[in-house]
Amino acid sequence: MSAPLLAADRLIKRFPGVIALNGVSFDLRAGEMHALCGENGAGKSTLIKTLSGIHPAGSYEGDILVEGKIVSFRNSKDAETHGIGVIYQELALVPEMTVAENIFLGNEPRIRGGILIDWKKIYDQSKELLDRFGLNIDPAAKVNDLGIGHQQLVEIAKAMSKHTRVLILDEPTAALTEQEVAVLLDILRDLKKRGIALIYISHKLDEVFAIADRITTLRDGRSITTLEATQTTKSEVIRHMIGRPLDDLFPRRSGTAGPVILSVKDLTVMDDSKKRLEKISLEVRAGEVLGIGGLMGAGRSELLLHLFGAYGERRAGEVMLGGQALGPKHSPTESIRRGLVLVSEDRKRYGLVLDQAIGFNMALSSLQDLVRSLFGSFGLIDPNQESGRNQEHFQALRIKAPGLSTPVGTLSGGNQQKVVLAKAMMTRPKVVLLDEPTRGIDVGAKLEVYELVNKLTDAGQAVVLVSSELPELMGMSDRILMLADGRIGGLLNKAEATQENLLAAAMGNLPARNLS
Amino acid sequence: MPLALLAIFAFFAIQSPAFLSSRNLSMLGIEVSITAVLALGMFLVILLGQIDLSAGSGVGLIGGIAAVLIFQHAWPAPAALLLSVAVAAIIWLSMGTLIVKERVPSFIITLGGLLVFRGLHWLVIDNATIPVSRGGEANFYSQLTTYYLPPLVGTLLAAVVILAIGFVSWRTFQRQKASGTAGNGEQIFLQFFVTAQLLGLFVLVCNAYRGLPLPVVVLGVVAFLIYALTTQTPFGRYLYAIGGNEEAAVVSGVPVARVTIGAFLIMGIIVAVTGFLQTAYSGASTTTVGSLMELDAVAACVIGGTSLRGGRGTVGGVLLGALIMAALLNGMTLLAVSPEAKYIARGLVLGLAVWADVRLSRRK
Repeated sequence: MSAPLLAADRLIKRFPGVIALNGVSFDLRAGEMHALCGENGAGKSTLIKTLSGIHPAGSYEGDILVEGKIVSFRNSKDAETHGIGVIYQELALVPEMTVAENIFLGNEPRIRGGILIDWKKIYDQSKELLDRFGLNIDPAAKVNDLGIGHQQLVEIAKAMSKHTRVLILDEPTAALTEQEVAVLLDILRDLKKRGIALIYISHKLDEVFAIADRITTLRDGRSITTLEATQTTKSEVIRHMIGRPLDDLFPRRSGTAGPVILSVKDLTVMDDSKKRLEKISLEVRAGEVLGIGGLMGAGRSELLLHLFGAYGERRAGEVMLGGQALGPKHSPTESIRRGLVLVSEDRKRYGLVLDQAIGFNMALSSLQDLVRSLFGSFGLIDPNQESGRNQEHFQALRIKAPGLSTPVGTLSGGNQQKVVLAKAMMTRPKVVLLDEPTRGIDVGAKLEVYELVNKLTDAGQAVVLVSSELPELMGMSDRILMLADGRIGGLLNKAEATQENLLAAAMGNLPARNLS
Repeated sequence: MPLALLAIFAFFAIQSPAFLSSRNLSMLGIEVSITAVLALGMFLVILLGQIDLSAGSGVGLIGGIAAVLIFQHAWPAPAALLLSVAVAAIIWLSMGTLIVKERVPSFIITLGGLLVFRGLHWLVIDNATIPVSRGGEANFYSQLTTYYLPPLVGTLLAAVVILAIGFVSWRTFQRQKASGTAGNGEQIFLQFFVTAQLLGLFVLVCNAYRGLPLPVVVLGVVAFLIYALTTQTPFGRYLYAIGGNEEAAVVSGVPVARVTIGAFLIMGIIVAVTGFLQTAYSGASTTTVGSLMELDAVAACVIGGTSLRGGRGTVGGVLLGALIMAALLNGMTLLAVSPEAKYIARGLVLGLAVWADVRLSRRK
């Protein structure tokens, strides 16, 4: 048997205070699709950064082998010349440039090898490249005008222009719609047929099983197993990823619902002189989880943001929190003071100050509790009380980090999400609005989020959960409100909430008896 | 940066022995204090990710208003200063409100302020030279930069401050030990030791001249207040949060509008204080008082490691930056460097200092 195309042999990579890779071995055969699975922080990102020369030779222990020979990449350019290309989660395209300009960025052909760029060649070669891989994209289109799915394909074309033999994709489908995912997977299968070996990193096990030949799981910086995809199951892979069997994906414990805490009546909200929400009514009781679903653009996030005081202009309707009116013009500051808190779907943009420490972020929403109320924002923060409270939540949520002073930007997605959740919990809310709280985090961290939801409702708090994953919505909600184009599409209790009914409600096609 | 400062001191000390004389160091103390007080106000604004280009013109205007009230209208000095502070507070409150509510960028609002206040300043003093006191007699205004603390009081004050810094350092160390992030006890001690030595030395040097200059005490008070504000209060945390990620701050319930307006209000009061100090130091309000001071203040912040994008910086850094800018100007004046060369040198130092800082921090 010939040597594998690319292999890692007992890689160890240390960072100050953390061992990111602690003995990872793994091999990639020519022309195979190899999936890497593992929780956030398991070492997947570090592994690809090591394989692609971003962590240069000498900064790690162990060996990287290409076709059986030990290689030492000094930078990512070295890896590229060996035919290793990477497409990262955050796309590296220049939005204001055209597709062709992006494909040849940094590699521009020159007219007669001189200093002038050969634009004709750039566009001709781009066209040829895009055609060869069956990508229906205009090379003269601005990247900005393409959807995220097409941008991803441009990245693939760019990698292929560099004679890539090994293509590494880091969570390529995280931001794609289902259709776009299908297109991408087809193209990847096509690449495989052309003899290109792929390393595929994804949290979505459905995709992994749809496309991978072999699956390697990583946990705590070690490679655990490599399995043939045809000879294993999802639950086995999950078991290897989290190190224990996973009995129940959605451990919802429903209790008895208490009195109504939050009620919304005939709410109509405008934004940019367009109606975004129309005649929305809902009630949330203490101790229950109200799920909110709907298609993209149905107004789920807009509803949460408006209730929180951060979106739109109220045209009609009223919102009552704990028996007293909230709004129409209220600020997030007021919402939080009254016991309504929001965890946004975009934690990097709306959740965290990435340069600052974990402790800074956790305490940010509840600093007023740490000062004598007499002085307001100008009072002195009690440092002992602050660090005690931070420590308590840091441990309760099992945040994996060296300490409270670690900058939050260096944490994995799941741990960042836990910091955002801790910040929300520390305001001691009555109602928690969760917008896609498990987006982009791994199975283990998801489970911890679900446990937190249970803990909240056990304590008599109410949760409003927005999710675009139907299984999560069905598994974790006591009742589900489906939105369809800014209106109520249906309100379903646990027994009625089948996939079919939910989808029908999301399209606005639910039988009338379910409309409350 | 401390090394750059040392190099600047060494260079001027060799070029002109008078640089290290107790008289010149006392003068330098006053000049640093004026620059640093304004820089500390600017620090709050920059932490937010905003800027105040009108500060220098404001210094001239507010100092001028006070001088005119005293010299032409025979107001008692304290009343004149009080009214001027109120005027500054109202102006900066309005600028802050415009920036927040009308969403006009602070760069534009304060650039407008720069021009408007300069014009108002010249109008108020009628392009003349307005002394800060009538008939040359000393008043509260003129004494701001001519009063020196008696040596005994200065020494006692220094001792108290050193003890206080020591206490705070010790507590910081204890807290770090408790939370398990310690290991830097030596560094904390070293910082305390060097600060205490320099402070003690400075007071002794000043005592050899006339005593500790009053502006240094003013700086001490302002620096202490700004330090406490930025590190120990919710308001300070909010400044860092807004500068670091304004959208996240809004969603976290930070009262962004109130904090921003508050920071500009404090800036207004600091501009007034700087205006009194700078005008008193010149002896009179003239058309050039305060000119370009906003740029020195920004330079001091940036040299001291404050990020112009907001969210990053420390009071200690700003003080160091102000010291570098003031020492440079003082030394060059002592060497009778021509004004044109002074401008060029200050600009180059600003660029060089920031470039070196970026290089060094990247290597880490």
